Amino acid sequence: MIAALTTPYVAWWALVPLITFAVAGFLLLTVASLVRRLPAVLAPAWTAVAGLGVLLYLVPMWSRVGRDGADSFLAGTVGVDRSSIFVTGILAVAVIAAALISRDYLPREDLPGVELYVLLLMSAAGGVVMASANDLIVLFLGLEILSIAVYVLAALHLRRIESQEAALKYFLLGAFSSAFLLYGIALVYGATGSTNMVRISAFLAQNVLVDDAMLLAGLGLLLVGLGFKVAVVPFHAWTPDVYQGAPTPVVAWMAAGVKAAGFAALMRVFVLTLGTYVSDWRPAFQVIAAATVLAGAVVAVVQTDVKRMLAYSSIVHAGFILVGLQAATDRGNSSVLAYLAVYAFLTVGSFAVVTVVSGTGDASHGLDAYRGMGRRHPALAGVFTVLLLGQAGIPFTGGFVVKLGVLAAAVDGGAYWLAGVAMLAAAVAAFVYLRLLVAMYLEEVPSGTETSGAVPLGALVVAVASAVIVLVVGLVPGPLLDLARDAVPVLVAG
Amino acid sequence: MSTPAIFAAVTGFDPLTGGEFLVAQNIAFAIMAITMLVSAVRMVTTGNVVHAALYLVIVLAGAAGIFILLGAEFVGVTQVLVYIGAIVVLFLFGIMLTKGSFGADDGVGGERRGIAAMVGALVLAVMAAALLDTFRDAELSRAEPSLTADVADLIFSRYIVPFEAISVLLLAALIGAIVVARGD
Repeated sequence: MIAALTTPYVAWWALVPLITFAVAGFLLLTVASLVRRLPAVLAPAWTAVAGLGVLLYLVPMWSRVGRDGADSFLAGTVGVDRSSIFVTGILAVAVIAAALISRDYLPREDLPGVELYVLLLMSAAGGVVMASANDLIVLFLGLEILSIAVYVLAALHLRRIESQEAALKYFLLGAFSSAFLLYGIALVYGATGSTNMVRISAFLAQNVLVDDAMLLAGLGLLLVGLGFKVAVVPFHAWTPDVYQGAPTPVVAWMAAGVKAAGFAALMRVFVLTLGTYVSDWRPAFQVIAAATVLAGAVVAVVQTDVKRMLAYSSIVHAGFILVGLQAATDRGNSSVLAYLAVYAFLTVGSFAVVTVVSGTGDASHGLDAYRGMGRRHPALAGVFTVLLLGQAGIPFTGGFVVKLGVLAAAVDGGAYWLAGVAMLAAAVAAFVYLRLLVAMYLEEVPSGTETSGAVPLGALVVAVASAVIVLVVGLVPGPLLDLARDAVPVLVAG
Repeated sequence: MSTPAIFAAVTGFDPLTGGEFLVAQNIAFAIMAITMLVSAVRMVTTGNVVHAALYLVIVLAGAAGIFILLGAEFVGVTQVLVYIGAIVVLFLFGIMLTKGSFGADDGVGGERRGIAAMVGALVLAVMAAALLDTFRDAELSRAEPSLTADVADLIFSRYIVPFEAISVLLLAALIGAIVVARGD
């Protein structure tokens, strides 16, 4: 006799973003394999529409969570709170931007097809899983979906050997870091008896472990695994090579989307789940944050390749986000989320410009390609200027507002030295952006440089929109900061 | 094979449950265990790589049989599907694709035999210590066999999101493999 299956409670309304990304990917894949001559614009348009749909859907979701409170379902394996909605929003923005940049990139590089968009959508689905996981195993699965899609995306430029090399490096190191993460999960499970984040935090709140060596080892391994994904020192070594080699639209997604999902995971695992052990993991976070901002900034200065420069600058940004995260307070969390949002716009905009400048073959990333850009492409140079100033954290840009936010959170928590180190690093990093600006406006066009033609529409839209948003956030920071403040991450028992 | 199991197999008297007879199970276990042991030894001593892989099939099939004997039918079937059906076939493919001839090979074993034996002994010691340490005084529960239907119920209710996530993961890996392998 077969008993009726008792289904657990599922908040389907909260799964819509995840299902949208995944199903949009499947549909695109199916249609593309059945229809022989697909209009080239369909795949990017479809991807962007999926991202836009998710973004619009998040608005009623946001108010629903505000009204009814955070929820968790499927026996507590998946949760929804405002921070996961916020991060999903960042992922949707990154998907839209990457799709728009790719629209002109793929035909220019004569690369086939729809796989980029399919993998992008799947990767986004993985990111959403990570941002709303209430269970370490679910988190791991989300991370793997996200990562495997990105490994392949990095290899997508089939004729550039650098692209293949980047993918292989990323894959090998990524697989290694996944193993670390999994081992960490196993040790935490061994110490607490559960992989469910709610139960782990409840267990640690009620019990004092006499021998917590296993838990601490697990904690360290979790930090290694997730630290690799968000590229903090000393797990950052892959970043410059992979950013340099991977197709530039993919790098935009890697820098904006993967990092947002990674930090969301770090926040859920460390601040929420292991919050009772904050005094044990905070010193490690502080040391890593300080090392990351300093090493990233110093090494960025000596780079001559703009993509590597931006890779190191993304490492500096990761360090800054960690400065906010280590506070482990509501203020710290909201500063992290605000930083992730502004950083997403800064990076997708910057990499949109880099995509345009790199020219056919995705090859010219030297400073030469940027010399005299102020005269050749005044509009593009202007947009890039805004984005670079934003990355540097110059006042009246969004970058300044969010940098201030994380520093304030650190000072609030008493980590004065860390805030000082971060400010010093920001000053060093500003030199990098300044150097690019000097190249664009003050240096002559080197002879023999081709004057590139019209700027493709997709990349231009992304770059201009990002620059405008960065400026608006810089001038009127209230709305974003309010959103980030309301995006409280919570764990709710299922 | 732990001491109580040997004892039970020989006498038909199960000390853990206080005299209950499980003769058929114990005999079946003994046959499978001995087959596995012999195959495992042959696997590392045979000079032919393909034969070694086939001996591995017997060992894994024996493990599957023991799972079924313990009432874990789903794990048993999974063992057959995954290990014998997929992994050993992959081994054989690997051997056949990479080696010109797959007859007797003198290179197997040789000077690394000592190290290999040491690693094997170490693994055995660690596993034996862990198992004995954990289960020494434990009363084996005579629970109902875990039904495949229960596993299915759990997968499609409680663990539906991880289950679907794994499907997406495999699909992403599949697409990725095709994209990378397709070339230009």
